[in-house]
Amino acid sequence: MTLRKSALILSFAILAAGCASEETVPKPRVPSEQPTANPSPEAATSVRPEGEPGVNQQGAATLEFYNRIQDYMKIHNEAERDVPSLKRTDDAEEISGREQLLAVAIQTLRANARIGDIFAPEYQPYFIKIVHDDFSQRSAVDRKVIIEELPKNMKVEVNTLYPTTLPLATFPAILLRKLPDLPPELEYRIVGRSLILRDVKANLIVDILRDVVPTIPS
Amino acid sequence: MMTHPIKRLAPALLILAVATVAVAEIAGQAQRPPATAVAAATGTRPPVGEDSVNFLVLGDSGTGDRAQYAVADQMWKSHQVFPYQFAITLGDNIYGSERPQDFAEKFEIPYKPLLDADIPFHASLGNHDDPNQRYYKPFGMGGERYYTYQKKNVRFFALDSNYMDKDQQAWLEQALEDSDAEWNIAYAHHPMYSSGGRHGSEVDLRTIVEPLFVKYGVNVVFAGHEHFYERLKPQKGIHYFTSGGGAKLRAGDIRTGPLTAKGFDTDRSFMLVEIDGDVLRFQAISRLGMVVDSGEILRQAKPDAKS
Repeated sequence: MTLRKSALILSFAILAAGCASEETVPKPRVPSEQPTANPSPEAATSVRPEGEPGVNQQGAATLEFYNRIQDYMKIHNEAERDVPSLKRTDDAEEISGREQLLAVAIQTLRANARIGDIFAPEYQPYFIKIVHDDFSQRSAVDRKVIIEELPKNMKVEVNTLYPTTLPLATFPAILLRKLPDLPPELEYRIVGRSLILRDVKANLIVDILRDVVPTIPS
Repeated sequence: MMTHPIKRLAPALLILAVATVAVAEIAGQAQRPPATAVAAATGTRPPVGEDSVNFLVLGDSGTGDRAQYAVADQMWKSHQVFPYQFAITLGDNIYGSERPQDFAEKFEIPYKPLLDADIPFHASLGNHDDPNQRYYKPFGMGGERYYTYQKKNVRFFALDSNYMDKDQQAWLEQALEDSDAEWNIAYAHHPMYSSGGRHGSEVDLRTIVEPLFVKYGVNVVFAGHEHFYERLKPQKGIHYFTSGGGAKLRAGDIRTGPLTAKGFDTDRSFMLVEIDGDVLRFQAISRLGMVVDSGEILRQAKPDAKS
């Protein structure tokens, strides 16, 4: 776990260092009480206001995202301590039962969870920019293939189960390379036009960043 | 005039012989059909080698519907002639809900003859699969989303193509580098090359993974996702197969083009593979037991990175 943590910190540091060499420094969105509305992608490339301290904003935002992931993992680990350990079994009931127990435990511990708890407002512009840049580099056919595979007409809410009747759309591998690493308990997924964080073991939607994925050009 | 004793006993011996055959047939039917009868019925060809690695390839199978059961029935019939030692799945092992009864209806019941015969499965995950399937012992995943194992001279790499993150890439490169097997075979849900009209090639995956396959000498790649059978023309020296018609069918979806060596999209299918020394023999079998494609692949020379 220490090694993984070090790797995560290192990857964030590399990401931040990489961003430091960019010509434009994105300005983070000011945290608000209602972080449901996404900032425009342009916000991620705006110039730092005059007089602001010379801090690498993306590095700081990345660390904030990382801190929130750590906070979530504390909750996840606490919940996991209260459910039977997951082991290989012939009994599918054990697997689904354990998944449900873990989900309920996390839902209880995060009863007040809200959109933007993990996708920190400070980091949202960078996520949006990463996704938009990735899609802008794809051919129309490629974009269409990706988007057409996404689950449609699915309403996602924070701290609810990902519907098991719907597929987990394949996450574009090249885009995945560009996003911050996650611990193995969490993964990114795309649903409709939203980027979601999903708890793999509990099948829970942990956070949502809405309207990130571009629409198919007509 | 003396009659030879054998001649006198001939009618009785004939009756005895017929009765013996009948009893043997009934006894055989009670357990499993005679191999020769099944061979005639299925068209499945037996393996050639005496010490081969024989396995079944099945993709996109977990519907729980009649088509899955029909394919499963054919899989068992084929096993009489081609006694594969294990089965690999190419994802979408369980479609829809994943309640305990779904594991029964979509896996345990249709493949009961195989499971009863102790034929192990080694599954990979599809986009319809909950990654927690890895803890389900009958899927033989060892609790991992991606994993490797070896059978004689063949090393298998089961990948999670739904989520090819950096950890998996690093693991794959290390596992390929460590492999000293004569054959390296990878399988995953998404095809890196496909002539399917619905999905097509998974370009992201190909961009990231194929260079590793080339560098470390992966010989053959199996994928599903597309609900048909397709053998691709070798790409960068690697043989690619899509076998995603284990229950679902997307009839007429193959857009035959420069990639296609052979396609079959008019019925469900699965594959049987034999690796016999330096030769890989494959046959694609339809739901009704027809061999819709077959052939041999000679093992490619190892690349510099592995020589």
